[in-house]
Amino acid sequence: MALVFIRTAIIFFTLLLIMRLMGKSQIGEMQPFELVITLVIAELACIPMADSSIPLLYGIVAIVSIFILHQLVWLLNLWFKPVKNVICGTPSVVINKDGIDPFQLKKNDLDVSDLVESMRGAGYFSLDDVYYGLYEANGSFSALEKEEKNSGSLPLILIDLGKPDKKNIKKCGFDEGSFKELLKAHGAKIKDVVAMTVNGDGRTYFQKRGEKYRIFDIEVPEKW
Amino acid sequence: MVKAIIFTLAAAALCVGLFIFTELYVGKQFDEFSAAVETLYDKTENKTANREDGFAVRTLWNSKKENLHVFLPHNDISYVDYWLSEACGLIYRGNYELALAKLEVLKEISKNLPGAYKLKFENIF
Repeated sequence: MALVFIRTAIIFFTLLLIMRLMGKSQIGEMQPFELVITLVIAELACIPMADSSIPLLYGIVAIVSIFILHQLVWLLNLWFKPVKNVICGTPSVVINKDGIDPFQLKKNDLDVSDLVESMRGAGYFSLDDVYYGLYEANGSFSALEKEEKNSGSLPLILIDLGKPDKKNIKKCGFDEGSFKELLKAHGAKIKDVVAMTVNGDGRTYFQKRGEKYRIFDIEVPEKW
Repeated sequence: MVKAIIFTLAAAALCVGLFIFTELYVGKQFDEFSAAVETLYDKTENKTANREDGFAVRTLWNSKKENLHVFLPHNDISYVDYWLSEACGLIYRGNYELALAKLEVLKEISKNLPGAYKLKFENIF
């Protein structure tokens, strides 16, 4: 019986570690340890139920073990702040007053398109609609919005963490040469750009690595 | 908060109590069964074992296995049933040589089976 407890504890902490390592893009609304419990407890309950050669007590002890581990993690979270940071994680501020923080994005296995998608889900369609944007420890996105939003039309991502989106660049009326010329005029190469988006009015969000973002207008052939 | 801590401690205490009880209980049951098999083995070796001796060991095992089903996987218990039935069948027929081989297996099973569920490093992994 003690064996079942220890095996359960090993699986519990292994899963917890893996979920934490996966980052916030992998978890939904739950804290990592709550998700681990949800995954494990269903399986623990099913195995002795489905396999009559295993004593039911094995499943019961394993489930009680999960309860004890849950309570332990909960108490540790409550009493020791550093433990809470390790187990549940901390919010990641991915947008600050200087623009996108590429380090925080990469730390959570996200890119600019994931960020834009999260922002759209929260009701913001432009990267400069918010002062601050952050991923909470449970993976949800929160933002401190600006008084005035600039979401007149849908922005297209032209550069995402140094990688160009050729289809969108073409849609904005640029070829490779003219696009590089535009970047050169702003003192950047493609790989130096954290994010560049353009909306249908030609309003451009441009952020070079290590610098504050800039907003400028460019000519776009057609509005969208 | 206090209630939650009490529940947690109570659950932990219950678990620890159950672990200790299981280790002791399963160990004791198999020690007794092992001793009975050992006696039957000696009698078979001396060719003095008879139907009643086999029947006595089977009765002892049947009374123990009812409770052991709660603590051990049922497949492991049926191994003991299988080998014990074979050994007893051979003793009834007076085939002591073959019965000894079966009892040898049974001795090993009853010696090693409780160990497979004990809290040991090799069992955890």
